[in-house]
Amino acid sequence: MDQSELKSRIKRALLEELDLRGRTEADIDDAAPLFGAGLGLDSLDALQLAMAIEERFGVSVPEGEASRDIFASVNAIAEHITRTKAG
Amino acid sequence: MAERERIAVTGLGLVTSLGFGRELSFSRLCAGERGIGELSLFDASGLKSRIAAEVAGLDVHAVAPQAEAEDWSRSDALAFLAAREAIAQAGHTPGSALGLALGGTTGGMYETERALSAAVPRNSTPHDARRLLDFPLAVTVERLARALGNIGPTATVCSACSSGTVSIALGASWLLSGRASRVLAGGVDGLCQLTFTGFSALGAVDPEPSRPFDVSRAGLTLGEGAGCLVLELESSARARGVPIIAFLSGWSVASEAHHITHPEPSGERAARVLAQAIAVAGLEPSAIDYVNAHGTGTIQNDAMEARALERVFGPNVGNVWVSSSKAQIGHTLGAAGAIEAAITALSVNRGLLPPTVGLERPEAPALRHVRAPNQSARLSAALSSSFGFGGACAVLAFEAPGAEARRLSGKLTAEIVISGAASYGPSGVSSGAESARDLKRLETPPAAAPEPLGLLDPERSRRFGRASAIVVATAERALHDAECDPSTTGFVVGSAFGDVERSVRFLQKVLGQGPKFASPAEFPQLIASTGSGNASIYLGLTGPCLSVSEFATSGQSAVSVAISLLELDLASAMVAGAAEARDTIVDVVLAADGARGEGGGFLVLEGLSSALARGRVPLAVVAEHRALRAAPERAFATLPPPPHRACIVAGFLPPALSSVLARSTWGEVRLHSLPALLGQHEAIGAAALAMAAGEVASGNADQALVVSADVDTVYITRLCRYEARR
Repeated sequence: MDQSELKSRIKRALLEELDLRGRTEADIDDAAPLFGAGLGLDSLDALQLAMAIEERFGVSVPEGEASRDIFASVNAIAEHITRTKAG
Repeated sequence: MAERERIAVTGLGLVTSLGFGRELSFSRLCAGERGIGELSLFDASGLKSRIAAEVAGLDVHAVAPQAEAEDWSRSDALAFLAAREAIAQAGHTPGSALGLALGGTTGGMYETERALSAAVPRNSTPHDARRLLDFPLAVTVERLARALGNIGPTATVCSACSSGTVSIALGASWLLSGRASRVLAGGVDGLCQLTFTGFSALGAVDPEPSRPFDVSRAGLTLGEGAGCLVLELESSARARGVPIIAFLSGWSVASEAHHITHPEPSGERAARVLAQAIAVAGLEPSAIDYVNAHGTGTIQNDAMEARALERVFGPNVGNVWVSSSKAQIGHTLGAAGAIEAAITALSVNRGLLPPTVGLERPEAPALRHVRAPNQSARLSAALSSSFGFGGACAVLAFEAPGAEARRLSGKLTAEIVISGAASYGPSGVSSGAESARDLKRLETPPAAAPEPLGLLDPERSRRFGRASAIVVATAERALHDAECDPSTTGFVVGSAFGDVERSVRFLQKVLGQGPKFASPAEFPQLIASTGSGNASIYLGLTGPCLSVSEFATSGQSAVSVAISLLELDLASAMVAGAAEARDTIVDVVLAADGARGEGGGFLVLEGLSSALARGRVPLAVVAEHRALRAAPERAFATLPPPPHRACIVAGFLPPALSSVLARSTWGEVRLHSLPALLGQHEAIGAAALAMAAGEVASGNADQALVVSADVDTVYITRLCRYEARR
């Protein structure tokens, strides 16, 4: 899967799993922070996202602080998935 | 301000993982034993934690009446055992009536899950689906009422992990208002996969037995059980000559309006609830000797709770004993508040302190933790506190039986009025006066309603289900009309079944793909109190916020409970009603009963003096609101004759009741039958209340009678125009 297809699937996961009603893939910048000011997400969203990434991409996300860098942006999630699958 | 009598605890019943019965549970608890072991009720493989505080050896068939043995859930059996023990100790017999208030979060979810796991492989047929509706939250009260006899009034309440605590406060209200002369109040929850996988998904479950207040704590341990208290006025207990175990002296119920799972971290709100319970008891914080804490063992709860205790007791916090029982009996969710209330009552009765097991390095060393087993102390007054999901806080104060009598003030709000109303139907949300217009358009088909979620701020409502969206959008309109202060306003929402479709989707994933695929964001939206939690947070309501369940009269029950909480002066105003959303499973199962619709209605209720003090002319006065559990043929016998300008708004009106009504003094009054207009659903009675308030407010009627029933219960509500109320 190429990177743009992967990022598109990550954005679809974000929209569906986090109930981001009224937003589209185009509203999510690849490099923008997801948490804090970004999409207004909280720790409950982080848990949901971790489960969804394991379910949709077969890649587990470490718990706690370690997940913070992975969930920094769509780019960072894509990199984690690619790296884990390659490894 | 009027004086009130003290409330005596005359009976206690307990079933916990430490044993059947209060003596076994309490003695093993004080001895520091843990009732936690490997989970055996269902498969939790794939989860980090596979331990729980199960009630081993519970034989549901042996507990249930023979004719109903196949129908009883584990929760029903747990509740019945605790109830029977409490009633026996109090020396209560069915010769006198007994109010029954029960708190819980999941009812027969364990049995629902078994039905679902049997249906998952085959495509679920309507017959299979019916089993999914066999265990609504309210069914336990129904079963207990049948098994115990002469029960009333009744209520099933859910405020997440403070449910059992709130049911006891509600019982106190019934006694002080004279609605009941003796009350059985308690809580029950059985273990189930929904809560086990849900809390696991939230990362809130410790793989090891929980260690409340310890620096190394890593979450809670789930448990199951039931606790029941028999309550009556002191004069009643003295007249009967039964021993008083303890006095229930104070209570407080309020909400944080902060987050659906996280507590407000400063403990400021929790401290206010603790302080209010102490004040209601007529005590100073320095009089409190012991606090049985909520102490779940999660990082967030225990840190918040320690801060709250430091706020309330200040420099004296080191004089107040504190312990959590959850390291030994698990977190029993809706039962916890009632079980811990019973433990607290026994503590002050015996002068014996249950310890916090597993506490080695306290995170808050300023607190005076109980660490040694079987420690005795002079205990005059103690608190039992509960802080649930959605910020649902409730605290009770108990005093030893030898506590000196003193003057207790108790304001009982007498006349209840409606200061706002709104309904949701096929044309969307209508405020009170618009509802009345809708009634006039009985025959014209309404335009399509806007999507309920579209009426709300998308970011703040993004996790809401359709039912929560209808609840919040409708309540928001009613509140807008009433213009009351949200910081002292509470919320009671009725729901018959909860969000069945969404719960089934969650469980199908757990059962099909494995427990680790439980959705953490979905789980908080599936417990019975999700509607009130969402409404409290979205609308900023910090009064008592809770859900009630009573089949198709859930909205009517919500109004009763709201009135009781107002009478207890726990809020200046209460929003109360019910809403039901389209649900594929409920619709399939109940379609045979007629065309299904969705909707509901909400009232803003407050004391007349409160409304007048705000310069508000009430939309209507609640002249009466009562439930009849028996003898519906006499339902209308006590009504005063209707005035010239009167109307009847009917929710679900069974044919037999309809003919009783036709023969009554109100038989000739014009009747609006809402199911004909709106379709049948379980909140139709709540819509009837809002529309009747609109009829009166708009001057179409001087009095409106609302009649709505379910199989066993008929509710009669009579609303009067304020100017014409005498």
